[in-house]
Amino acid sequence: MRNSIAIVIAILVLVISFLSFTNAPFVARSFASVKNGLNSFLGPALNVVSKPVEAISGGLGSYFNLVGAKKENEELKSKVDKLFLENQRLAELERENARLRKLLNFTEKKPNTMIAAVVIGEDLKNWFRCIIIDKGKKHNIREKTPVVTPRGIVGQVVEVDLWHSKVMVLNDTNSSIDVNIEGKNTRGLLEGTGQNTLKLKYVIKNDDIEIGDKLSTSGKDGIYPKGIPVGIVITANKNKAGIFADIDVMPFNNFKQLDEVLLIKK
Amino acid sequence: MKTFVYIMLGLLLMILETAISQRVSLDVLKPELGMPIILYATFFLGARSGLVTTLCISFVQEGLSSAPNGSLLFVNISVFLIAAAMRNKIFIDSKYSFAYVCSSAVIVQSLLFLALSILARGETRGAFNIIFYALPNAIVTGFVSILLFTFIEFMNESFLERK
Repeated sequence: MRNSIAIVIAILVLVISFLSFTNAPFVARSFASVKNGLNSFLGPALNVVSKPVEAISGGLGSYFNLVGAKKENEELKSKVDKLFLENQRLAELERENARLRKLLNFTEKKPNTMIAAVVIGEDLKNWFRCIIIDKGKKHNIREKTPVVTPRGIVGQVVEVDLWHSKVMVLNDTNSSIDVNIEGKNTRGLLEGTGQNTLKLKYVIKNDDIEIGDKLSTSGKDGIYPKGIPVGIVITANKNKAGIFADIDVMPFNNFKQLDEVLLIKK
Repeated sequence: MKTFVYIMLGLLLMILETAISQRVSLDVLKPELGMPIILYATFFLGARSGLVTTLCISFVQEGLSSAPNGSLLFVNISVFLIAAAMRNKIFIDSKYSFAYVCSSAVIVQSLLFLALSILARGETRGAFNIIFYALPNAIVTGFVSILLFTFIEFMNESFLERK
């Protein structure tokens, strides 16, 4: 008897979840509010768990770096090589300095429009490309808020809970973004593939585009501000059938190695 | 008591997985940690415990994923119903048979999600992604469920069934 009641309840929940998935007006709203209520407990729990994980991974990283440095020291026998590496490091630091200064200028110009957030988790399912950040409704975050780093666009906020938010990353299959080719009059729609690269769609074969072209947001999709770097064209195939070129884009950000991000308040 | 302990174990594992996968790129090696807990509760504790576990695990999964509202609850409840119906037909006598059941359930879960997306919303954009990850997810979950089964059995013997 007890089992039969459980089965009946399960079937009822099945129907409710289906109606919620298909956005049936009343059910979807009620389901979302129940889910939001329950999720309020998840943010702090995730924050607590992510701290030791961060500390352990930091410790392991330092250890591996030390092992690497030892090996590197053994290999770097000649003084010329050492100087060459030093030179490269300085050049990288200089580039980083310039990039950060640019970002600092950007944030200083609009101090109230940027919020820094720490990435505390990743989507539980590998079907979706989403990161979880430690800012939520309590910090006035809203859905569709653009998320960036000094390198460029990361994605947009798709779900906001009390203490944390979910950010759909550019390479999610549901992500689309309107982009311009820098310095050229070409425009296209950049879509996620679920993999590391992105697809630039609706670029006509006659359009001026080649490998190495840089993309930035056009600002015409109503979500992302204009002129934020997105990625670089890595393949442009104009030999396939149809009127549009087949273009692959590598995003500037490595979405697997994001620690901090900036949210642009509208 | 047992149901509560299993649920807490599942929640802890899922939160840990979310936090760790941000630091370590798991990608195809990402296991479905909720499924073994749901199946263990359903097969060994009965339909009532199975349902409570499924509801708790599903809501946490929805909270930690950007999947559309209700979708993960739908697929998990479907898997629970199938498991409850098969409870008297499948005999799980070892951690290996449990691993087979878990792997199969992950494939069923992926196919159900795919069918739900295509039939209810007409969405096909993520279909390739779901198919691509279905088999690796099932294999990894199978291996992880062997460890989980051993751990749960150890917990049962050491703490939960002590007279």
